[in-house]
Amino acid sequence: MILFYVLIFPGFLFCFIAGLLLAGIDRKLVARMQRRIGPPILQPMYDFFKLLGKETIVPRAASRKTFLIASTIGLASLVATALFIPIAGFSAFAGVADIIVILYLLTIPAVSLILGGAASGSPYAGVGISREMVALMSYELPLVIILLSIGKAVGNAMGGGITFSFTEICAYQMSFGPIISKWSMIPAAIAMLFVIPCEIGSRPFDIAEAETEICEGPLVEYSGTPLAVFNLNHAIKMFIMTALFTSLFLGGFSTGIFALDVLIFFVICVAITVISITLLRAVTARLKVEQVFKFYWSVVSGLAVLSLILVWLGL
Amino acid sequence: MIQHFPILAIMVLFLGAFLTVLCGKNKVLRNIVVFAAMLASSVFIAFLIKPIMIDGEVITYWLGNWSPVADYAIGICLVVDQLNLFFAILVSVAVLLAGVFSFKYMSRDDTLEKYFTLFLMLSGGVMGLVLSGDLFNMFIMVEILTFAAVALTAFRNRSEGALEAAFKYLVIGVIGSSCILIGTTILYSQFHTLNLAQLSVLLHNNLQPATILAFTLLLTGFAVKAFVVPFHPVEADANAAAPSSVSVIISCVLTKAGIYGIIRIVYFLFRSMNLAPLQFILVLIGTLSMFIGVTMALAQKDFKRLLAFHSISQVGYVMTAIGLATALGVTGGLYHAINHTLFKGLLFLCAGAVFYATGTTNLDKLGGLAKRMPQTAALFLIGAFSISGLPPFNGFVSKWLIYQATYEKAVEFGNIGYAFVTIIALVVSVMTLASFIKVSQSVFFGQLPDEFKEVRETPVPMRIPMWIMAALCVGAGLLPQYMMRYLINPAVYAVMNVGNYIGSVMGPGYAEKIAGQTVEAYSSEFALAGYWSPISWLALFAIIICAFFIVSLSGGKLSKKIHSDSPSGLDPKYDTFFSGEANEHSQVGGSDLFWGFKHNLRHYFDFMHNAHSGVISDYALWAFCFLSFMIVYLFIIV
Repeated sequence: MILFYVLIFPGFLFCFIAGLLLAGIDRKLVARMQRRIGPPILQPMYDFFKLLGKETIVPRAASRKTFLIASTIGLASLVATALFIPIAGFSAFAGVADIIVILYLLTIPAVSLILGGAASGSPYAGVGISREMVALMSYELPLVIILLSIGKAVGNAMGGGITFSFTEICAYQMSFGPIISKWSMIPAAIAMLFVIPCEIGSRPFDIAEAETEICEGPLVEYSGTPLAVFNLNHAIKMFIMTALFTSLFLGGFSTGIFALDVLIFFVICVAITVISITLLRAVTARLKVEQVFKFYWSVVSGLAVLSLILVWLGL
Repeated sequence: MIQHFPILAIMVLFLGAFLTVLCGKNKVLRNIVVFAAMLASSVFIAFLIKPIMIDGEVITYWLGNWSPVADYAIGICLVVDQLNLFFAILVSVAVLLAGVFSFKYMSRDDTLEKYFTLFLMLSGGVMGLVLSGDLFNMFIMVEILTFAAVALTAFRNRSEGALEAAFKYLVIGVIGSSCILIGTTILYSQFHTLNLAQLSVLLHNNLQPATILAFTLLLTGFAVKAFVVPFHPVEADANAAAPSSVSVIISCVLTKAGIYGIIRIVYFLFRSMNLAPLQFILVLIGTLSMFIGVTMALAQKDFKRLLAFHSISQVGYVMTAIGLATALGVTGGLYHAINHTLFKGLLFLCAGAVFYATGTTNLDKLGGLAKRMPQTAALFLIGAFSISGLPPFNGFVSKWLIYQATYEKAVEFGNIGYAFVTIIALVVSVMTLASFIKVSQSVFFGQLPDEFKEVRETPVPMRIPMWIMAALCVGAGLLPQYMMRYLINPAVYAVMNVGNYIGSVMGPGYAEKIAGQTVEAYSSEFALAGYWSPISWLALFAIIICAFFIVSLSGGKLSKKIHSDSPSGLDPKYDTFFSGEANEHSQVGGSDLFWGFKHNLRHYFDFMHNAHSGVISDYALWAFCFLSFMIVYLFIIV
């Protein structure tokens, strides 16, 4: 049974399809917003299978084993995260997960990108990984504060002070309605909408994979299957982050038919993608490294702290 | 027979030190003596595990058989309860592994008989400190270990900065020892006894101005030993100058000895941990240490100095957790203490291996060593992920306990300040990860400079202790329930229940007779949030990775499609892409990484740069200011 969860739903196959679909819809919509036609929605899937058939070149200066394994580690941790986030109220390992564990699991894909870049032996990759680390530091602070404030809000209502467990959050949303309907959590929701593009690495916060500045940063020496897996990681991360947002802030609906629930969940994920990723990506340019850091540690963290204080005061 | 094991564990280390002096010139004999001494000490400690940890006894050993007469403890005693044994295990493991590492590591230096003598004296001093039950005995041991550590810091006296670092350590160390001595003297003059258990009872509800002053002095003295803020700059200097095996002892073991002293003072001697302002000041010191340690580490250019600043940060975690005075907090703190010894020891040993192979620890000069030293790189990565707290390594478990403890304390006491401690702890964890990514990129990945093209992998005698430490790191992360059951929970129980200790040392019923009431125990109930079963996690990860390898193998003949360079290395297809620049101009030095982060915090870093001036008078001034502040503060709150 575990193998079914890992490989089919909500594991590998589901994430694969959902992530690549989200990536494709995002690309199409960005193109339309920029008055282009854009690629077909299934283009990321075509790209993935194309890359699988290409040659993998390992540069002379690279540390070979780390170079080849890094992408798979990221993929494994993303699929593991998918098993813990409640998708339409169902999570494969309910009760085992905690918000802190999800938080840590979400840093592993970024670390795998960093490891891959470090192993390339390229100076562009070196600069890219330090930028990726700065991005990681930037969005971790508001993300932590958001999760703590959700834990406190749910804990307040369910009695018991705080909770770190996803099952309790889902149960809370089933009885009290989505968390975003609490007005004190709206700043946290906005902060989370800002955290999503930074974590995924899309404009204006894509300082790590800056094509024009550092030639794709950590991915500069990659080709073939490892590159395919890294692109897949990027797409699945889009799905994971929007799914996290949906299950944390917009949960609590249920039509009774599981397949329909999953479909509605996916449509909401698409909507979140459009709001927080696509719109920003289509109209902005890239920020500088220090601007990203300052923005996240002042504005976004400020919003999250506002929510934390409001929740603490019992509102 | 088992009664004698504590004193034997200490004695055999000192005996080894003296024997090393006698047979110093003969290398083989000297190595045998040193190894036998460390091994014997560890064996004695290991034999104590079953009666103390599992059966719950407390072993008391009165030196010279001077048992208490008429309820008055005149003799020196060694007490081994669960907390003592916890720290003794920590000390013996670290000493054994660092000692075995130093056989090969120090083989290029001369006058090694002095090194090993001092090393064994240092180990004996620390072992004596954690096993003693008498305040003046603790002071003596603190003096022994301070002077041994100072001498060992200056051991490579031809290298630049070693003597200076040793001198600074001496000054600050003596300030700490003097505080402990004055505090001990004051207590002796008031109560005419030096035994911890007896003092604990006599001090109960009996605080006078003199004893409050003694409390402050003792607390400051042990805080100096633990190298928390504001005494931390000296540790960075000392660790950078000392040989790496000694750095392991200084940053992993001596700091824990300081933490042990602090626990004894506040939890046992003065039993004042239920005072909220005292918890606040300890948590504040811990949080400042965490933050300052990691931000200073991000700015460093020297490998070992960077590791030393991370030590300060992790000891800040331990201090914060212990300052919470909840059972969960103390559990997290003690677990993190032993985890820190393991992963920081591993990291310092890796630094030593890099130094042995290349002769430098400057991050700007190193690079690309993973190709020549793959096992060392793998061990370093294990240590780096452990310290950053990534699952499934040991740092994750202890940090999770600490986060949960601080947040629950915030909820329980309605004080949002502790929630900010949780946030700071999490952010410091990410910054720790950042710092180690920078180090691994600067040292192990990136480009291999020409002068290091011929370095060889670390010799096997040095690699074995590193692998053992890595295995312990992974093991402590995968099997936390065994660690908790056999090591941590008994120690936490010992911390929270003072009565057990007093009854065993002074005889049962002593506390009731003198103080007129039984010793109350703190509550040791706590529940872990969530169910963390690392074995199932690892199984999950393994399943997923297997699944992927199956998929990728079936998706194309993977191995055939991966192309590497031909052995002669001339095909330009395998060059790294430089967009036209020449190779030698394109190395990104270690200190150039994280430019954006350092730019944003440049005001903070400028202030810190000026504050850490390197002038020892400044550091001594900080120490005295801290002491005065604590005196005033404690007089106000008690």
